[in-house]
Amino acid sequence: MHLPMPALLLASVIATPALAAGPLQVTAKVLTEQKTRAADGSVRVALVPARRVVPGDRVIFVLGYRNTGSQPIGNIVLDNPVPAAIAYRGPSQSSAAPDVSVDGKTYGPLATLRVRTADGATRAAGPDDVTNVRWRLANAVPGGAQGQLSFQAVLK
Amino acid sequence: MRTKIGILLAGTATVCATGAAHAQTAAQNTTAGTTVSNTASVTYSVNGTAQTTNSTTASFVVDRKVNLTVIYDQPAATQVNLGQTAAYTRYKVTNTTNGTQDFLVNAFQSGIVGGLLTGTDDFNLTNFKVFVDTNGDGVYDPAVDTRTYIDELAPDNSVEVFIVGDVPATGTINQADVALQVIAATGGTANTQGAALVATDLSLGNADNTVDVVFADGDSDGIGVDIIRNGQGWAYGSYVIATRNVALTVNKTALILSDGVNALNPKALPGAVVEYCMIANNATLTASANSVTITDPVPANTTYVPGSLAIGLPGGTCTLLPTITAPFTGSYDTPNNRIIANLGTVIGGGIVAVSFKVTIN
Repeated sequence: MHLPMPALLLASVIATPALAAGPLQVTAKVLTEQKTRAADGSVRVALVPARRVVPGDRVIFVLGYRNTGSQPIGNIVLDNPVPAAIAYRGPSQSSAAPDVSVDGKTYGPLATLRVRTADGATRAAGPDDVTNVRWRLANAVPGGAQGQLSFQAVLK
Repeated sequence: MRTKIGILLAGTATVCATGAAHAQTAAQNTTAGTTVSNTASVTYSVNGTAQTTNSTTASFVVDRKVNLTVIYDQPAATQVNLGQTAAYTRYKVTNTTNGTQDFLVNAFQSGIVGGLLTGTDDFNLTNFKVFVDTNGDGVYDPAVDTRTYIDELAPDNSVEVFIVGDVPATGTINQADVALQVIAATGGTANTQGAALVATDLSLGNADNTVDVVFADGDSDGIGVDIIRNGQGWAYGSYVIATRNVALTVNKTALILSDGVNALNPKALPGAVVEYCMIANNATLTASANSVTITDPVPANTTYVPGSLAIGLPGGTCTLLPTITAPFTGSYDTPNNRIIANLGTVIGGGIVAVSFKVTIN
């Protein structure tokens, strides 16, 4: 399924202005799927700012970053704690896959993570266990460049 | 324009992103009105100087996903008797909304689509009402269960609702079908009936940071009375006349009390006092026998002992007390030389004793 990504990248409709005045600006957005039925009966799924979200709905958290300075920025690490009412599902199709964490300390692919159960044993971690999502950008971001990272989740 | 410069990190995505929410109950659902905010913290370096920043905060308000279930909460139709009052059918309403809601309840008994219930609807109840099981015991208590709407039902909680009515005393009736309509309403204020919820217009311009109302309920009957996403649930029940006759028996015995000669073992000699005893028994436990009257002629060659008619609980030689106990009435019918005992209503399983004495001429 192709999700058309409208040109909303810089439109911070529901975001509050960033406080930091550094060269790297990071804008957070939450999008949700809006299904519309066309005249021919087909259903189109568009991503719209999250205005109407009820439990069970798919939401997409988007981080847009932009180097507003002239110097390249390196070693960028974006750490996004997953909000309490949100269950992580996976990276968006158009986004680099993040490392995830189930404890906020150890990051890695989900398949490598384990969680401790009540009886002291451990089990393989699932998407519901994810507490933090982290992207580490390997390449420096030149002045004026920008990009976008996102992950999919579900409202619990 | 977007310049893609991020490079995939080591490790490939292993999580399939197709998973929807797991099957959830409403209590696990995020409560309507909760604000979900997302902020990322960022570290980076410019010319070797480490810096930190935070992303902007994106947030949204969780909207109200209205859902409910209404079921007919009894194994079969309610068995009623002609003339029975406060006969009820029971329904269970469960709130599966992600918030505490009031619910309006309405009862109907006409225009109910046939085929939902077996049998044919051929009478209507009188004094037709609907009440909520306020004390939660699952039984309709007229003195306690007086609330006519569901107040402040928490997510995933259930409450019983009763449709209550009186059965006419018409002899030919068989079955009455009834319907319960439950409408989700605004909660939040205890002991106050909320207004019915209205789904927020999807095309509304600015619905940010407000709790929209989204109906997510299904079609509870599949016949068009209820439709999906209308914030309502329906359930249907029926009353059937169970009993048209009762197993009322009267067992009559005679006991010689005294003959003036033999004190120990009296014989039926002239002048002997004989007690006649009639035990009326309604063996049909589920139905009362109304207007029960026993008429018994005084046998030939005997004379009624004045004032000896007794009606009441069985005991001793026949009746526990030698008098006519309330609510029973009775008398000796002098012209016809008979006794008449008015027992009124003998409840299911009830026993009433009637005794009178005669002397042998």
